[in-house]
Amino acid sequence: MAPATQFELSNPPNDAISALAFAPSSSSRLLVSSWDKKAYLYDLQASDENAEGFRGSLLSAFEHRAPVMDVCFGANDDEAFSAGMDWTVQRIDLASGDMSVVAKHGAPVRRVVYSREHSLLISASWDSTLQVHSPLDASLPALTIPLPGKPHALAASPSKVIVAMTSRLVHIYDLSALSSAVTSRASSPPPPWQQRESSLKFLTRAVAAMPSDAGYATSSIEGRVAVEWFDASAESQARKYAFKCHRQQQPQENGSGGAMDVVYPVNALAFHPAFGTFASGGGDATVALWDAEAKRRMKIYQKFPDSVAALAFSADGRYLAVGVCPGFESGMEDYEGQGRSHVLIRELGETEALPKGKAK
Amino acid sequence: MGKKKRGHPDVEELLSRPWCYYCERDFEDLKLLISHQKAKHFKCDRCGRRLNTAGGLSVHMNQVHKESLSSVENALPNRQGLEVEIFGMEGIPEDIVQQHNQRIIQNYYQAQAERYAATGNPPPGQNGKGPAKKLKIESPDDIKKRLAEHRARLAAQKAATGGSATHTPQEGLPNGPSPVQSASPGTFNSPFPPPGGQYPGYPPQQPPPVPGYTPPAQYPPAYPPSSLPTRPGSNLPAPPGLPPRPGQPGWQGGNTASTIDELVSGAAQSGDDIDQIIRMAEAGIKPKKSDAEGEEAAAPPPAAEKKSKKDKDKNVRMVYEDELSPEERMAMMPRYAFHPEAAAA
Repeated sequence: MAPATQFELSNPPNDAISALAFAPSSSSRLLVSSWDKKAYLYDLQASDENAEGFRGSLLSAFEHRAPVMDVCFGANDDEAFSAGMDWTVQRIDLASGDMSVVAKHGAPVRRVVYSREHSLLISASWDSTLQVHSPLDASLPALTIPLPGKPHALAASPSKVIVAMTSRLVHIYDLSALSSAVTSRASSPPPPWQQRESSLKFLTRAVAAMPSDAGYATSSIEGRVAVEWFDASAESQARKYAFKCHRQQQPQENGSGGAMDVVYPVNALAFHPAFGTFASGGGDATVALWDAEAKRRMKIYQKFPDSVAALAFSADGRYLAVGVCPGFESGMEDYEGQGRSHVLIRELGETEALPKGKAK
Repeated sequence: MGKKKRGHPDVEELLSRPWCYYCERDFEDLKLLISHQKAKHFKCDRCGRRLNTAGGLSVHMNQVHKESLSSVENALPNRQGLEVEIFGMEGIPEDIVQQHNQRIIQNYYQAQAERYAATGNPPPGQNGKGPAKKLKIESPDDIKKRLAEHRARLAAQKAATGGSATHTPQEGLPNGPSPVQSASPGTFNSPFPPPGGQYPGYPPQQPPPVPGYTPPAQYPPAYPPSSLPTRPGSNLPAPPGLPPRPGQPGWQGGNTASTIDELVSGAAQSGDDIDQIIRMAEAGIKPKKSDAEGEEAAAPPPAAEKKSKKDKDKNVRMVYEDELSPEERMAMMPRYAFHPEAAAA
C-alpha cells in the first residue's frame, strides 16, 4: 500500500482562495483562483528546493482586474476560464499567458464551468443570469438564460448542469438542449430540464455533480449536505437524503453546563472521478469523505489550519486539493485572508476513497 | 411475579461493559474494545498501521512519516488530546469514569421511567430511588385546555344523547399539578377500572368533576365497541381499527398517553431506548433509513447523529447565518469591491 501523504503548495495565493481546479488530463496541473485578483497555475510534481512539507511550484500567475471568483479548465490542459468580480469571464491561454474576455455579465460572475462533452462554457452571475458560450465557434452569440434568483453554485455532470440559487431554488438544465439552442441561435432559451427546491432549508453553498451522471450533492451554510438523483421517478426520488455534518460541540459559554452545537457552513463539495464517493469541506476546518451510495462517512481528516474554502479531486482521483483560508463569518466587519491562505494536496492511498467492500 | 427482561439489561450490566474513552461507545468485552481503539483511534492514516496507544501512534508518525500527531482521530471533541495514555479501559481519568457512569445510570433510569410511563407498569419496588420518573403527562395548562374542549364536547353530546362518557368523580383533587404526578402509576390507574364492567353504570348527567385530570377527547371511541352496546346517539362509528387487545384491558386508556397511537408508539419507542443508548455511538451499524425528506433520519455522520435526540433543546450557533452569501458580503468590502468603468458616469 502506497503511503498516503500530504503536502502544501509553496507560494500560495496572497488572499482567500475561491476555487481550485485540476487539469482534465494531467494530475499535476492545478489552477487556483483567489481574492487577491489572481489565478495561479501550479505544477504539483515539480519540486523546488523547498522546506519540509512543501512541494510543487508556481508556474504562472494571471492578473485580473478584480478578485477571481472561480476558475476551470477548458477543452485541454492549456485552456482555462476564470470568473471575475469584474463582471467578465476570461479565457486564459495557459501556455502563452494571453487573456481575453469571452463573456460579459451585468454583475460579478460567481461560477464558471466548462463541459468537455458538449464543448460549452457556462457562467453564472449575480445579475441572475446564466450565459452559455460555445468557445469553439466564437461567431455564435451567447445564450443568456434568465434565472429566478442569484446563483450561488454551479456544477456540470456529463449531461446536465445544476444551478443553485437564492431562495433554495435549484434548476437543472440539459446540456444537449443548451448546446442545440446555442448552435441554432435560438432566440429564447430552453426551459430548465427540471426545477427543484433544495432539500436543505438554508442558503445553498456548494453543488457537485456525480461523474456517473446519476445525481448531485448540495451543501448549505447550516452544516448539512443533501444527495439527490436526477431521475424524477418516485423511487429514485425516495433515495435522496440529507445529513448533518461539519458541526462541533462546545460547552455553553454561560456555564450552564449544556452543550452547544456550533454549526459551520459546508463550503465545498467534490466527487471522486471514479468511486462515487465525495469530499466535503467546511468552516470547521475539516474535510470528510463520504460514500454517497452507502450513506456512510468513510474518513474525516485531521483539522486543517483554517476553514476549508475549496476542494478538487484530480482527474485520476489520486490527489485531493484542499484550499484553506479563514472563513467569512456572520457579523464580520473586516476580512483578512492574507498570509493564512494555503493549498494542501493530499495524495490518497489506493483504497482511501474507495467505498468499503468494493475493492478492485 | 417473575421479572421479564425483555432485552433491557439491568444497570449493573450496563455499567460493567467496557467502554472507549475516546468515543464513549461500549462493548461486549475488553478484546472488542481494544480492537476498536486500534482500528478507530490508533490507526495511522498514512500507512494504516494499527498501534496500541495514542502515544505509540504519535511515536510511529514521528519516526516513520516524520509527522506529528496532533489529535486522536474519531474522538469526541473534548477527548482528542494526547495527554492521556489510554489502553482499553486503562488510563481513563477518574472524573471521566464518574461522568460516564453517571451518564449510563441517568440514561438507564430515564429509559426505565419512560418504559414504565409507556407501559403503565409499576416500578418493581424502587420508588424514589432513581431520579424523578418522567411520566408522559401534560402540563396543567394543557390539561385545562383539553378539559375545556372536552366539556364543550360533552355538553354538545349530552344535549344530543344524555349518555356521555365521564369518569369516576374524584373530589378534592387539586387543580394545580396533575394528581398523576404525585400518585404512583399503580394508584393512578385505579380510578379507571375496565370499562366493560362499570362504564355503563355512571350517571349520565355527571359533569366531569376533575379539573386536573380528564380523559382525552379521543378516549370514548377507544373502548372496544363491545363494552358500549347501546350508546345512543354516539355519532362516532364503532372503531373497527381498534380491536380489544388481549392482555391489555381497557384501563390502559387511563394512561396518560393522549391517544392510542401515542400509547403504542410510546411503548415501541421506549422499548428501543436501551438499545439506542447502547448503540448510540454506533452509527456505523445503525440501520439505514431511506427517508426522502429525512433531514434527521438518514444521517451517515455519527457525531451528529449521536446527539440528534438532544439537539432539540440544545443551543445551536450557526457560524454563518445570512440571506446573502459570504462572497456577496466580501464583495461589499472596499478591499474587494469592483467599480466598473461603465458605471463611473
